[in-house]
Amino acid sequence: MALLSDNDALEVRNIFGSLLRDVHVRVYTQKLECPTCKDTETILKELEELSEKMKVSFLNSLANREEAEKDGVDRTPAIIVSDGTHSRVKFYGTPSGYEFSSLLTTIIDTGGSEEPLAEDTIQFLNELDQDLVMQVFVTPACPHCPPAAVLASRMARYSSKVRSEVIEANEFPELSRKFRVQGVPRTVINSTFFAEGSLSETMMVNALEKGLADNPSDETNLVDYLQNG
Amino acid sequence: MDFKTGLVGSSSSTDRELDLIIAGGGPAALSAALYAARYDIEHIVLESYQPGGQAALTALIENYPGIKTISGGDLVANMKEQAESWGAVFKMASVISAVPLKDRIQIKADSSTYMARSLIIATGAAPAKLGVTGEDKFYGRGVSYCATCDAPFFRNAHVLVVGGGDSAVKEALHLSEFVSELTLVHRRDKFRAEPYLAEKLLSCGNCNVMWNTTLKEIKGDEGVQSVILNTPEGEKELELDGVFMYVGRKPATEPFSKLVELNENGTVKTHEIVRTSKENAFAAGDVTDNELRQVVTAVSDGARAASAVFDMLQ
Repeated sequence: MALLSDNDALEVRNIFGSLLRDVHVRVYTQKLECPTCKDTETILKELEELSEKMKVSFLNSLANREEAEKDGVDRTPAIIVSDGTHSRVKFYGTPSGYEFSSLLTTIIDTGGSEEPLAEDTIQFLNELDQDLVMQVFVTPACPHCPPAAVLASRMARYSSKVRSEVIEANEFPELSRKFRVQGVPRTVINSTFFAEGSLSETMMVNALEKGLADNPSDETNLVDYLQNG
Repeated sequence: MDFKTGLVGSSSSTDRELDLIIAGGGPAALSAALYAARYDIEHIVLESYQPGGQAALTALIENYPGIKTISGGDLVANMKEQAESWGAVFKMASVISAVPLKDRIQIKADSSTYMARSLIIATGAAPAKLGVTGEDKFYGRGVSYCATCDAPFFRNAHVLVVGGGDSAVKEALHLSEFVSELTLVHRRDKFRAEPYLAEKLLSCGNCNVMWNTTLKEIKGDEGVQSVILNTPEGEKELELDGVFMYVGRKPATEPFSKLVELNENGTVKTHEIVRTSKENAFAAGDVTDNELRQVVTAVSDGARAASAVFDMLQ
C-alpha cells in the first residue's frame, strides 16, 4: 500500500513540476537492524514515480560498504540529495512529518533555478577556510525544524567545505544521547558546540563565524555565547 | 505516518518597493496574506523562522469553527497553501527593524531592506520565560517550551508542566501520552483554561496537579534532575527529568518600537481593532492588545488589516 495519500502525491507532483534539472538521490538501507528502512525505501520509490527528473538509486549499505564509506554514510536509513557531483547533503531517518517538508525543499533547491541563500551567507561560505559539519537534530512533529534543516542543507549544497546531516533524533537515540539532545531543532557544529532552536539565517552565520573563530567547548550553546560575549 | 508538503521559503531577496509587507508567519499573517492576494495588493510575507507561529505548536485545535479537530500544524499548513494558491508570496526572514521614511516604511529583515507603502505587523508572541534559576542553563537539556516538538525525548519520564491556561493544560494532555508521570504546578487554586480541558486533565491517570504552587529553581548536572517548588506547605524538592513552561507569551514587537506606539506589556496599541498609531501600519493577532488570543480572532484580525490596507491604497 502506498504511504503517500493520493492528495499528497498530487501535491508533490505539482511541486516537482518546477524541477529544471535532474536530482540525484541515493538511498542507503539494509534489512538487518533497521526497522525504518523499508518505509524509507517505499517513500523514495513513490517520489521517484512523481517526476522523470528524480533519479533515485537504492543501495544496500552492507553489500555496498565501499560506496557507503565513500559517501560518508555510517548509519541507515540514509538519503543523499545532490546534482550527482557530491554527497554532502544527507538525511538520516524516515522522511515523514515535517522532515518530508525539509527533504522536498532540498530536492527543489537542487533541481531549481534560484539560489535560495542570502548574499551575506554566500559571502561567508565563499570565505570559509575550514571544513564545517552541521548535524541538525529534528523530530517529525516539530514545525520549527524545517528552516534549520533546510538552511544546513542549502549551505552544504552551495559550499564544498560544508557537510550537512539532518538526523531524526528518535530514530538514532545513541547519537541523540551522545550530543545530549532533549530539544529540537539543535544544530551541532563539527561535533563540538551547538545552536539551540531555529535561528534566522543571519543569526546562524554570525554564530558560525564566532564559533569557528573561538572554537568554544562542546558545552556551549552558540546562541547564549553570542548574547553573552 | 503523515507527510507535510509545505516548502521552506528562500531568504534571497530583490530590492524593490512594495504596496504591503506582512511580517509574521502565523494565522494572522496567513489570513492577511490570503486577503491581500485576493485584493491583488503587491506584497511579500516575511515569514519568521518559526513558521506557523505558536498555533503550529498546538497539538490539537478543537475550537476553530467548521473543523471539529485538527492539529495546529495542519491548520496553518492548509492556510498557507490556500494563500499561496491565490498568489501570496512568502520569504523566510526575521524583521530586525521597521522605521517610517517619508510616507513609506523601511523594513530591514536579516540582510535585506524593503520599502513598502504599508505594513501589517503579525509577528505574534513567543513563549515567555519564567526567569527562574536553571531555566536558561537547561534549555534544550530538559527545559522546553514545545511539547509537540520535544515530547518524544521524555518517554517514560517524569516531567513538570508550569502554567494553568489553555496552552499549559492542552500541552500537558499531549505530554501525558508519552511520560510515565506528569506534575502540573499552577500558582492559583483553579485553572484559567477552558473547563472542558481542565476536567480532562484532572481525570488523566498519570497527571498530578499542585495548586498554589510556583517553580523556584531547576537543578541538575548535564540535564534536569530536580526542581525546587514553593508550595502552601513550604519549599519542596521534586526529582524529575524535564520541565515544560507555559507561563504566558511575550509579544514579538521590539523591531516595531520606533514605528508604532506600544503598550506597557509590549503589545501594539490598537484602535478599531487593527489600526495603530501610524496610519499605514496595521497590527493583527497576538501582537495586539486584543484580549482573546485564539486562532479564530487572529485570522479575523488578519482579514480586517488586509481590507484596511486595500482601502488605504485606493
